[in-house]
Amino acid sequence: MKPIQLRVNGQAVERDIPDNTLLIDLLRNGLDLTGTKEGCSVGVCGACTVLLDGQPVSSCLTLAVTADGCEVTTIEGLTEGDRLHPLQKAFIDYGGFQCGICTPGQIMSAKALLDENPHPSKDEIQSWMMGNLCRCTGYYKIIESIQAVADGKVST
Amino acid sequence: MMDLASVGQPAGHVEGPSKVTGQARYTADIRLPGLLYGKCLRSPFPHARIVSIDTSQAKALAGVHAVITGAELPDRRIGRFFLDKPVLARDVVRFVGEKVVAVAAESMDIAEEALTRIAVEYEALPAVFDPVKAMQEDAPRVHADTSTYTHPPVPDFVHPGDDRLYPDIPNVVSQVFYTHGDIEAGFAQAAREFTHTFTIPPVHQGYIEPHASVVQIEPDGKVNLWISNKTPFVAQAQFAAALDVAEDRVCVNTAPIGGDFGGKGSLMDSVVCYHLAAAAGRPVKMVMSYTEELLAGNPRHPAVITLRTGVDADGRIVARKARLVFSCGAYSAFTPLHTVHGSVHAAGPYRMPNVEIEVFRVYTNTVPAGHMRAPGAPQIVFGVESHMDLIAQELGLDPLEFRLRNTLIEGDAAPLGEKWKKIRCKETLEAAAKEAKWGAEKAANRGRGIGMYDREPGAFGPSSATLSIAADATLTLMTGAADTGTGSYTVLQQVVAEELQVPLESVRVVQGSTDSAPWEVGAGGSRLTHMAGQATLAAVQRLKEGLTAFAARHMETPSEQVAYRAGEFVNTNEQRLTLPTLMAALADREELPLRYTGEYVAEAPMDVTSFCAQIAEVEVDPATGQVTLQKLTTAHDVGTVLNPLTHQGQVEGGAIQGVGHALTEHLIVQDGAVTNVHLGDYKLPTSMDIPEMKTVLVESDAGPAPYEGKAIGEHSNVAVPAAVANAVFDAVGVRLMDLPVTAEKVYAALREKTARSRTMRRGNS
Ligand code: FES
Ligand code: FES
Repeated sequence: MKPIQLRVNGQAVERDIPDNTLLIDLLRNGLDLTGTKEGCSVGVCGACTVLLDGQPVSSCLTLAVTADGCEVTTIEGLTEGDRLHPLQKAFIDYGGFQCGICTPGQIMSAKALLDENPHPSKDEIQSWMMGNLCRCTGYYKIIESIQAVADGKVST
Repeated sequence: MMDLASVGQPAGHVEGPSKVTGQARYTADIRLPGLLYGKCLRSPFPHARIVSIDTSQAKALAGVHAVITGAELPDRRIGRFFLDKPVLARDVVRFVGEKVVAVAAESMDIAEEALTRIAVEYEALPAVFDPVKAMQEDAPRVHADTSTYTHPPVPDFVHPGDDRLYPDIPNVVSQVFYTHGDIEAGFAQAAREFTHTFTIPPVHQGYIEPHASVVQIEPDGKVNLWISNKTPFVAQAQFAAALDVAEDRVCVNTAPIGGDFGGKGSLMDSVVCYHLAAAAGRPVKMVMSYTEELLAGNPRHPAVITLRTGVDADGRIVARKARLVFSCGAYSAFTPLHTVHGSVHAAGPYRMPNVEIEVFRVYTNTVPAGHMRAPGAPQIVFGVESHMDLIAQELGLDPLEFRLRNTLIEGDAAPLGEKWKKIRCKETLEAAAKEAKWGAEKAANRGRGIGMYDREPGAFGPSSATLSIAADATLTLMTGAADTGTGSYTVLQQVVAEELQVPLESVRVVQGSTDSAPWEVGAGGSRLTHMAGQATLAAVQRLKEGLTAFAARHMETPSEQVAYRAGEFVNTNEQRLTLPTLMAALADREELPLRYTGEYVAEAPMDVTSFCAQIAEVEVDPATGQVTLQKLTTAHDVGTVLNPLTHQGQVEGGAIQGVGHALTEHLIVQDGAVTNVHLGDYKLPTSMDIPEMKTVLVESDAGPAPYEGKAIGEHSNVAVPAAVANAVFDAVGVRLMDLPVTAEKVYAALREKTARSRTMRRGNS
């Protein structure tokens, strides 16, 4: 067991966890933040993407202990009260999801992109999002959703 | 054009806010007090006798609450139609990945640790993996005795033809014939005949949400089930049958489905999950790992397809004989009823007076197959459309010209005799050809290829929906259909808003559990826009009638003199009563909310279909065989498009699944075991793999859904692989008879072609 302290969506969290606990399990089972989804469990699909000190990581491959002292942002941390984040709104308006299982991961990856590069080209979006699989949409509308935010077309 | 307000608008998904914020709870997200985690030990053998199982070490592990084997369960086989699958293997295992022992423990880690402490002794048995070999007399039998297996009779509405279940052919589960015309007479008229055989591998549906089940048993025995199953009422019936309890003792609770594509219509782990919960006395959750999904999910049937076609001197098809062999794997439990529905497409959307289609479903010692987006059609259409190009080539005809000579036109009977109205097959193909610039100059190593398909809107089973109106006049539509993400809920919301002439946002759509919602078959076969749409229309109609009567009483006017108009009632004296005022007035007198249920059953078989024509443009690197899909044109014969945003989402998502099946996806099976059991090895398309996509909608007004809509869910995925394979031939002259079209295969075929032409040159010199 190892004691860890971190901030999750701005809230301080302290836990004693076994060393082999994965970040995804800490979030989903330990903190009931089930917005982070598990698909492949091997770092391929991106459904479990969260931000660790602002950087996108696959929480299915990340040991929770490595988040000690860090700030973790999950999909639940994007909304301010009832107000959707522009990416969340864009994914609705532009059809950026269907079943929604990949969507939290898509949105967290897109957020990391826009934080780093607020005005990416379509090609930059397409290649950045390569690590987030979506079986429903065929990606076109995911790319359009992100582009719409980058182009300032979405207000919340 | 109809004058529509809500219908026809590109409305975002009504359930959107819950999905984009992470609030939507899928089955794997369900948490309950005292929840245990279940896991199964699976067979490493494709066919073996279980000699002994020792679970004592697992039971002794701290934190383990239940360990069960097949022998401890009631000897009852489960399934959707054919009841041939044990919940846990009994005596014999029949595929690699079959569940043998189940464990429930305090944590997933402990459950997995417990599995490593179970000892099973097997005695290997001879196995068979290839469906064609499995039909031979000397083949090992996957099931020694099928005489005790039960299955319902094939209802006539499914197929009125000649069906044989468990005929006297080794390992054959069913043999089905579809015939029309006189096949021998047809071939007698043929100037030339062509026969080709195609092989299609198994593929996984690729939904990102692995199957999950949660079972909680209440003290009085009532079972609460959460399951990633798109048809909750059907699941309820199958699950109750599997436990031999009354259906109303099982409540299937609500959860969105994280991707279906046909694959989420089985019981999967739910029954074993129940037995674990019963044994442990605590609720149990089971979530398959993606490795388990790829190893032992319910993939699309692999198939071997042989097509023989007779063509007259003018290049018109006069006869087609098809022999379709599908491997259904070790169990038929969760595969379609008796045939694979797509089999009817073995003649394609072409005029041909004489047809005979023979379909076999065959047991093999491989993972049991299931449904996948347009079951059977992608396999068959790959064969049919490749075959069309091969024939065109032999006849020296352009593939487009050969098709145009043979496509169905208005007034034709379809190959199996269906009489479709408003046939626009040719128009759809021409629209695709125009958009794709068929015939335009191409750079070297570039090619174009066509694929065609048609599918009618789904019309089976009853649908129903309940529309309620509360004291504050808010409207809520409750459906028993699970949300698989296709946008059905949004379409239903649009129908209510349209009919009541109220803003879209004023209508909520919720899923009801099997205890609270009216009976509904659920998603499948491209049926919801049509069937649930019509049920919703009926519910709105009842609500309008019911409220009109209340309004009339309130206004002291005869009902006939009261009309509903955009949120209010108006009588002949122009006296008005808004919905909120009426509901407030009713609050003291009636029990609110008021509920109105509409039901719908399609009376007759469908008399319309939807055609789809797709053209792929590829570039092939002759040095490596690498195929790049540059452009995909997808043309659809559609009815009124109720929601252009979600409609286009279906077109795009389906087409990219087709791209995966064309180029990269393939469950690699060696000695019966799937070996690429990892999403890094099973290659779904990524955002970098998508071509330029052009969609052409050829609109008509003949659909059976509300406002004359048709269906779109299972159209765009089907013909892409054939279009790509045909384009590769057009680009570099090599023909692949199996899928996927990988660089290795194209490279090998290119080398063989070069070697052949060298030999020929040498022969000529
Ligand atoms: S679940 Fe973590 S990358 Fe797929
Ligand atoms: S929305 Fe279903 S997988 Fe992306």
